Amino acid sequence: MTRLFCAALVACLFASTPALAHAPLMGIGGVFGGVIHAVLVPEHGLTLLALGLVLGRQNQDARRLGMLIFVAILTCGLIAAALISEETLAADLLLLATCTLGLLIAATWMPPRLVLCLAALAGLMFALDSKPDGTSATESARMLIGSGLGAALALALAAEGAVYLRGQTMLIAARVVGSWIAAIGIMVLSLRIVTRMTIG
Amino acid sequence: MRFGMIARVIAGTIVLRPLATMMRTLLPLVLVAVTTPALAHSENGVAIDFWGGFTHPIFGPDHVIAMVAVGLWGAFLGQPAIWLLPVVFPLVMAVGGALGVAGMPLPGVETGIAISAVMLGGMVAFAAKPPLWVAAVLVGAFAIFHGHAHGAELPIGADAVAFSMGFVVATGMLHLGGITFGGLSHWPAGRVAVRAAGAVISLLGFAYLGKIL
Repeated sequence: MTRLFCAALVACLFASTPALAHAPLMGIGGVFGGVIHAVLVPEHGLTLLALGLVLGRQNQDARRLGMLIFVAILTCGLIAAALISEETLAADLLLLATCTLGLLIAATWMPPRLVLCLAALAGLMFALDSKPDGTSATESARMLIGSGLGAALALALAAEGAVYLRGQTMLIAARVVGSWIAAIGIMVLSLRIVTRMTIG
Repeated sequence: MRFGMIARVIAGTIVLRPLATMMRTLLPLVLVAVTTPALAHSENGVAIDFWGGFTHPIFGPDHVIAMVAVGLWGAFLGQPAIWLLPVVFPLVMAVGGALGVAGMPLPGVETGIAISAVMLGGMVAFAAKPPLWVAAVLVGAFAIFHGHAHGAELPIGADAVAFSMGFVVATGMLHLGGITFGGLSHWPAGRVAVRAAGAVISLLGFAYLGKIL
């Protein structure tokens, strides 16, 4: 039975694929759909991981203040996202914030004030980029609430988990992951800018 | 007769039954593992997803040997080069990728990639131990060529986050492979093996260079 359970678990892991940015998650909507959207969209997942790793390296007060700022701005941003319908540059600015966070992790240079500013920027852009396309106002509101809950929970887990990254090996691993996050950000941002200039 | 029965019981309980159980467990797992999702493809047939990005550097043998050489050299140089070089490489590679995406010309990209294999392999083969900043600058300079080549091939018009994630993770895995093999250099025999691997990489680089020129 245990073996079957393990096999099923591994099979699920094998079968899972990364959720593409803003691809519709078929059959999953509402608050739960929003939670999944917040965690599984690669850009959003990267942002939460990067911010979590940075906040995890701060002292307890700065870490909690960073999370509080992120959640507060995220909430304001979600309300704004529900009200506005125009296209924004939120996705690009979110990627820029993620890229900067990745560079800070790689350089192990994390001044608290800069981190708090980046937490605020990430929170706002995360919220504005979470607005689902082509859904009713009620469904959209439900998904935005789910996105907020998912983001706050995932960030808390990442930041508190990062506190336990101690020892030389773990810190090196974090720096390597930071460089990967920054590299992904640079490449995707450049691609988006070129695409916008080419296609319009 | 009795021996035959005993043999059948033993075969049934020790071999066949566990085998059948294992097959029941593993077969669905294998079937699920080999299935792949149907995904959109770019104009040149490259899947724009994590797997497409992951396989992109792996299917270029000239890239593979150079990236493995970075890991080998890092391991050979020891701390802090063992992690600094694999941190520098993807960051500078991304800048090169951005240049490639933007269509900015970089002369002799393929030549640069081949020379990177020659030089980095040669550094390992000759057990060169320059100052850390020299190693970082050298690796960074070659990373520009690798990034430019990949960036120029990135599918325009696609949202490439998952693709880039796969691409960067594959690069990191190749470095890790080099570092793991380079770990053998702690032992005298392993040191010879690592230097020999460097020599092979350098020779392969020469072969690519000869093909280009």
